Amino acid sequence: MRPAIQEYNYDWLMGRTLKAAAGVPLGTKKETELTYRYIPYYKNVAKSFIDAGDPGLQTLAMLAKYYENILTAKAQGKKICATTFCNSPVILYAMDIVPVTFEILTAIGAMVWKRGMFDYMDYCCEIGMPETSCSSQRGALGAVLGGLSEKIDMVICDTPGVCDTNANAFAFASEYLDKPFFQLNYPSSIGDDRSQQYHIDDYKEMIKFAEQHSGNKLDYDRLAEVLKEVDKQDAMIADLEDMLMLKPTPVPPMYNLALYAGRFCFSGHTEYTKLLESMVKTAKEYAAAGISGLKNGEEKLRVFMCYIDHYTVDVNFYNYLEERGIAHVGSILTRNFKGDNKYVKEMPGSSYSIDTSTPDAMLDSIAQMNARLPMVRSIRGPYDKKGMWLEESLVCAKMYDADCVIYNGTPGCRNTWGMVKPFARDIEKHGYPCHIMYDDAFDDRVESWEATKERLDEFFKIRGLL
Amino acid sequence: MNVFHDAATQVQCESIAQWKKDGKPVVGYTCSYAPAEIFYAADILPYRLRGIETDGMEVGDTYFGPFICSFPKCILQLAGKGKFSFLDGAIITPGCDGMRRLDECWRKAGEDIENIVPDYFYYFDVPHKSENHGMAWYIEEIKELIKSLEAHFKVSISKEKLTAAIKEFNKGRRLLGEVENLRFQQDIVVSGTDVFAATVAGTVMPRDEYTKELKKWVTALKKRKTALNTGKHRVMLVGSISDEIDLFELIEDTGKAIIVGENLCFGIRYEGSEIKEHGDPIEALAKHYLGSSVCPRMYGKYKERLALLKERIISSQAEGVIMQNIRFCDLHGAENALFERDLEAMGIPCLRVEREYGPHIDAGRMKLRINAFLERINGSSKTAKKTKSTEEMFVSA
Repeated sequence: MRPAIQEYNYDWLMGRTLKAAAGVPLGTKKETELTYRYIPYYKNVAKSFIDAGDPGLQTLAMLAKYYENILTAKAQGKKICATTFCNSPVILYAMDIVPVTFEILTAIGAMVWKRGMFDYMDYCCEIGMPETSCSSQRGALGAVLGGLSEKIDMVICDTPGVCDTNANAFAFASEYLDKPFFQLNYPSSIGDDRSQQYHIDDYKEMIKFAEQHSGNKLDYDRLAEVLKEVDKQDAMIADLEDMLMLKPTPVPPMYNLALYAGRFCFSGHTEYTKLLESMVKTAKEYAAAGISGLKNGEEKLRVFMCYIDHYTVDVNFYNYLEERGIAHVGSILTRNFKGDNKYVKEMPGSSYSIDTSTPDAMLDSIAQMNARLPMVRSIRGPYDKKGMWLEESLVCAKMYDADCVIYNGTPGCRNTWGMVKPFARDIEKHGYPCHIMYDDAFDDRVESWEATKERLDEFFKIRGLL
Repeated sequence: MNVFHDAATQVQCESIAQWKKDGKPVVGYTCSYAPAEIFYAADILPYRLRGIETDGMEVGDTYFGPFICSFPKCILQLAGKGKFSFLDGAIITPGCDGMRRLDECWRKAGEDIENIVPDYFYYFDVPHKSENHGMAWYIEEIKELIKSLEAHFKVSISKEKLTAAIKEFNKGRRLLGEVENLRFQQDIVVSGTDVFAATVAGTVMPRDEYTKELKKWVTALKKRKTALNTGKHRVMLVGSISDEIDLFELIEDTGKAIIVGENLCFGIRYEGSEIKEHGDPIEALAKHYLGSSVCPRMYGKYKERLALLKERIISSQAEGVIMQNIRFCDLHGAENALFERDLEAMGIPCLRVEREYGPHIDAGRMKLRINAFLERINGSSKTAKKTKSTEEMFVSA
């Protein structure tokens, strides 16, 4: 790693950047415009959020708060747990443990910095991780392994059986830093009694591990509070999901990002509840007025991202959708499999419910919810089996009336690259034009954003979509 | 020995052809976590799927994406070219992401190319942890597999038959253990290439015939007097899956090294310990296959694997370790880096190299790296001889 990079604590650097960005819109409009001059490097990303109105401001504030929690954890005597986006932080919050979710931090760095997270990603390779491993972990992980972040105390991941390269990054981090490690492991099926029981048994072991290494016993009263908040949040997510079905959809593309970033950072926390309230309020106002959530007001196309979005500098991807008049009707990360969501009714066995009546009911609820988070729910088994990726994508594409389906990921995503070609062909067979993006969602060096944009334009043009 | 080399270097050797002529079924499997004894108990030939004899990649590349290890691609290529037409069944296991996606890619290729998917095509779901519910899940999976084989092939797999199968496989394990002991001697009478060929052959040959041939070979080895390692360095080969005899030859043909041990998905590591012959055979199989945690797919068990590797380095008096990983094999790629860090700290020279599986298009580059590494060992050995033995180095570290 370059010596200049090693001079700065990454968490502190990004935490201060986000705090400053969250403060930019607090002055008058003129002050805000003037402030942009002094933040040339992250002006575009700050502006994109600020221009999104209250939900954008809430998102910035939420991300700043996420970093503040990390930076103040030790002073408050709290343990820090490195974890992954598809492992809900709810249980950690209920145990007063501070989560550090690598993929979220990598995405933030990639969007905010022109040079992205390249130095940190490459540092992982310097110390031995394969360059072919997933960039979504390697960004933030590079700072952790390089000793440029707050010290983590334990590692919990839940991707064995779903994504090797994700699980492997966490296992590597645990060994390299000599920190305790726990893996939640998912079977290849979902919805059957055997899998459901496995989820519970495994989750209970994870709680024991977290109790042992944090020194905190799980407080069931606290868990009940957090789960009730999750329940409230799930209901609002369902509202947003419903509004994504409207034509034109009143939900701006950027809300998708805020929706899942919030869930991965602050599920069960009031910060996320406030953000959702703000998004639902704005989207409902647009819906009542019958207008599109797109800035130019005209919805020309509806795109379903069957995997993840693109997160490199200046939130280019979301701005591109706005410029072209493309509505984003969700990705694998947006979806929430709470039982009362419309699309889950098309997929029996796919949902969870929240019951806070007894400790066992809570454990069952949280274990089943966790097992239905993005990726671990539908990429765990063969893609064309019951409840898996193809079924989920087709149900969503149909329900949200998508004009096309787009795959985007990272080259490290072995679990999807292993079968995305036949998957895309099956999607096409069902009448949806399907585009496979060959970039890296977190690393513009793999394919520049300009090239990615050209390829998207080419796809839309050749398939007669735009 | 030729019978082993033939079996190890041909997709379908003579004894498999004979097995088919006798009208008996063959079932292919992809992963060392599938207990071969179950098939033997049903008079089905368990056949470990390999990627040898691949001479192109048009089928593999059509269905798999570009960022996938070449090993499962080679298996798909062979399937697509009809080289596995002798299979009556195939079992896919989630050994790693690349291998588990062979399930979809093979089936989907079968929609385009006739008769390449065997009638019996089964997904065997192996968990990534061996404790409590992980073990219980695996035992249940074995029971389901047995039921499925019984229903499809109209056979009966009783506990008695499973115990008999375990006993037969244990005979081979004991014989391979004797071969290992020969490799631990000061004067080594058998090459690493031959030992590897013998172990790979065990994954494809009918087991009774294999045990018989192995016994003959071991008896002959014990009578050998000529040491093959004079003036050569003792090295270990570890890392990603390999069934390639030519990789062993590449190293030993330098004339400067002899392979005294390997830690590969094919090879001796799974034959190292016997399976319990008493009690419930399904539990015994589960404990052996899932409980040993020798593959990096079993996350969080690095220290156990390092301990095993150290033990093997000491027993075989290896002077250096060659660590290879196939490109896109993150599991071994990352673990090799940790091994390298820890072994080098103990004074064991390590070579970490990324490569492609299949036709050795990068043989020249590999040779260069290996030769340079052996030169390095040469230098280290001269220094080490003046100071400490391998075991002493570990103890002091």
